[in-house]
Amino acid sequence: MRYLEWTVLFILSGIGIALANFVGFDVGFMDSLPGIVILLAISIVGVVIHKLVPLQLPIVAYVSLLGLLAASPISPAREFVIEAAGKINFTAPLTMVGAYAGMSISGQIKSFLKQGWKMILIGVFVMTGTFLGSALIAQVVMKITGTI
Amino acid sequence: MGDYVYPSLKSRMKTEYKIYLLALLFIAIADSIGQIQIPLGPGKFILFPIFYSLILGILSGPQVTKIIGSKQVKAASKLVIVAICPFIAKLGINAGASLEVVLSAGPALILQEFGNLGTILLAMPLALLLGLKREAVGATHSINRESNLALITDMFGPDSPEAQGSLSVYIVGGMVGTIYFGFMVSVIAMLGIFHPYALGMASGVGAGIMMASATASLAEIYPAMADQISALASASETISGIDGIYLTIFIGIPLCNFLYRKLEPKLGRIADRRIEKRAKGKVD
Repeated sequence: MRYLEWTVLFILSGIGIALANFVGFDVGFMDSLPGIVILLAISIVGVVIHKLVPLQLPIVAYVSLLGLLAASPISPAREFVIEAAGKINFTAPLTMVGAYAGMSISGQIKSFLKQGWKMILIGVFVMTGTFLGSALIAQVVMKITGTI
Repeated sequence: MGDYVYPSLKSRMKTEYKIYLLALLFIAIADSIGQIQIPLGPGKFILFPIFYSLILGILSGPQVTKIIGSKQVKAASKLVIVAICPFIAKLGINAGASLEVVLSAGPALILQEFGNLGTILLAMPLALLLGLKREAVGATHSINRESNLALITDMFGPDSPEAQGSLSVYIVGGMVGTIYFGFMVSVIAMLGIFHPYALGMASGVGAGIMMASATASLAEIYPAMADQISALASASETISGIDGIYLTIFIGIPLCNFLYRKLEPKLGRIADRRIEKRAKGKVD
């Protein structure tokens, strides 16, 4: 995608977030705006870095690290970033993700139904196993290091 | 750099405008319904707007109401990343704001990555008991998201049983994963075995939308620790995004092959016998 396409699509995501934040949580558009601008700016910089750096890392890895830096104690805008992003409700950006994701798998319903109960059961075990394995190790290690 | 999907922004708009309008409509509908909490034993199952918009999206597709065609379906899958970036940025900010928690959990964050291999230990024996052969390797080697599916297809070939197994779990995960993760996490939280921090970390499985669903549930169940939980989920998800594929190549698949060699002769026989018996029963 061209930068122009990324930018337009991100602005559209911003509109989606503002809409969800207003409809779902009664946060006015102007109150959401600073937070949305910050989230979109971080996203765009993440895309630029992803395009420029020849490492095979996913875009979201850069976006996540940039968000962390922007809100970390070394950031001069830390307070502002945290406060503005705090106005965006946690689940507000997710509704649009669901809409796109739903549309993108809408062509797979028939093959999903064809999978049969065995594959669905295995899929459930796969998801559960991944989660439980991580939770177990995290719990044990944090107990040892005294974090919890 | 001439390999763009669309010749211009305008032609993208022309193909995708329906997707944008539908997405905004679904947001308006889903968020006005809002969260619904269903009490379930000692805990609760929480329905989020993301579930409704996901279902509305599936229903709008070419196999149900045909509001969008297969061209838009393909386009929508490229748009998921655009929508999820701002959410990931928000989680990153949460992680920066709770940096002390993230740093103090450092060793656990790194080591819990190996927990993603738990899927092999749990799901591989089941798959073999159900009678799968080499499909089991593809199906249970990881959580089977896009990058894993691509890797398996690349390693074993698109027509291999391994790739078929991987594709099946990929489809199942896409269809039910988001909702299942929200549900599973609340049930596991209810058990009270794990600290909320451990649950937060475990949510970062390397699939953005599943992590989002799990974290949203946890934030609702433990509101006082919501920031720390999402900070740890974000850190874990980021690490998974970076190391996940290497973990799969160097440990996951070799472990699958090892377990397959050890377990298949035993568990496979049980499955074969059962299948045979059933076939015989039908003949009688």
